Amino acid sequence: MTEFFLMVLIVLSLLILVYLYRVIQGPTVFDRVLGLNGISTKAIILVVVMGTVYDRVDMFVDISTGYALLNLVGAFAIAKFLEQRGNL
Amino acid sequence: MVILAIAFILVGLFFLVVAAIGTLRLPDVFTRSHAVSLTDSLGAFCVLFGLSLYQGFGINMLKILVVLGLLFLLNPVIAHATLRAAYRVGVKPKAEEDA
Amino acid sequence: MKSSFPKQFMAKGLALFGVWLVLSGRYDLFHLIIGFIVACGVAWLNTGYSHAAFQQFPWVRSVLYVPWLFLRIVQSSLHLTKLILTRSLPIHPKLISYRSHLQHQGAIVLLANSVTLTPGTITVELNGNHLLVHAIDEVAAEDLTSGRMERKIAGVFQQEAKR
Repeated sequence: MTEFFLMVLIVLSLLILVYLYRVIQGPTVFDRVLGLNGISTKAIILVVVMGTVYDRVDMFVDISTGYALLNLVGAFAIAKFLEQRGNL
Repeated sequence: MVILAIAFILVGLFFLVVAAIGTLRLPDVFTRSHAVSLTDSLGAFCVLFGLSLYQGFGINMLKILVVLGLLFLLNPVIAHATLRAAYRVGVKPKAEEDA
Repeated sequence: MKSSFPKQFMAKGLALFGVWLVLSGRYDLFHLIIGFIVACGVAWLNTGYSHAAFQQFPWVRSVLYVPWLFLRIVQSSLHLTKLILTRSLPIHPKLISYRSHLQHQGAIVLLANSVTLTPGTITVELNGNHLLVHAIDEVAAEDLTSGRMERKIAGVFQQEAKR
């Protein structure tokens, strides 16, 4: 069973690399923000899968909850800043 | 139960991979955000629900479902905030206006 | 009808205490008492300042709306998957300007949130009851343009729509 979850972890990290390409390459700044949002969703899933591997889901779920809430605040700050700055 | 959990996780991974392909292929910010929203809704749902099934009924299952509910509530708000900023700043979507 | 202060306080306190119970995972007396005190304190600080849209929100009936929304999410996800995996990428993105007839502010928030949650459509701008929706093609937007989603939400808010 552990092998299966390790495989899931590897697939998730490869997907994070794909989004990282979008963050580096993105034509506009909003593509980069969108890529960061996708990466954070993957990271939340990744933390929960890691908790399943180590058999400590109760602890890792708290970490991923904190990650989700911090991601919300960060995304709002970036969006507000870009909106008020006005130009690309 | 374990079989069902593995099936859910595999389906979720499929949707996550499709969403990643979508972010590579689609042409502009607005269409790409659709692909990211596909990840958030169905991909994350299937993977996390599969993991909670693997835990069996108990407090751990409830905790993972709390994270799932949080994702469902917060991700549309983030997508909307980003796209509204893009629209107000003046990124033009490749689209025909339709009243 | 505006719900009174003690009622709001009780509802918020109980909801927060439920979250505490799920997330803490320990049920000895010490942790229960700490959780109760913290939940009451946060509910006390927050009661009375909530936005008007959520003061008479029909929480129970909007839970019944969730399964229908989930079915729509699955259907449009499959549609979007098919679009992305097709080799020629047959997308026709368009901006739809939509004027909603819903009265209640919470209903409009629920409509905009549902539209964004469904893959293929995203609310770009929300001004009063005027929505600007970006859709990836006509099929994805059909749920909104035919008014089916709005009718469903009007059903949830039945009592408030008639006041």
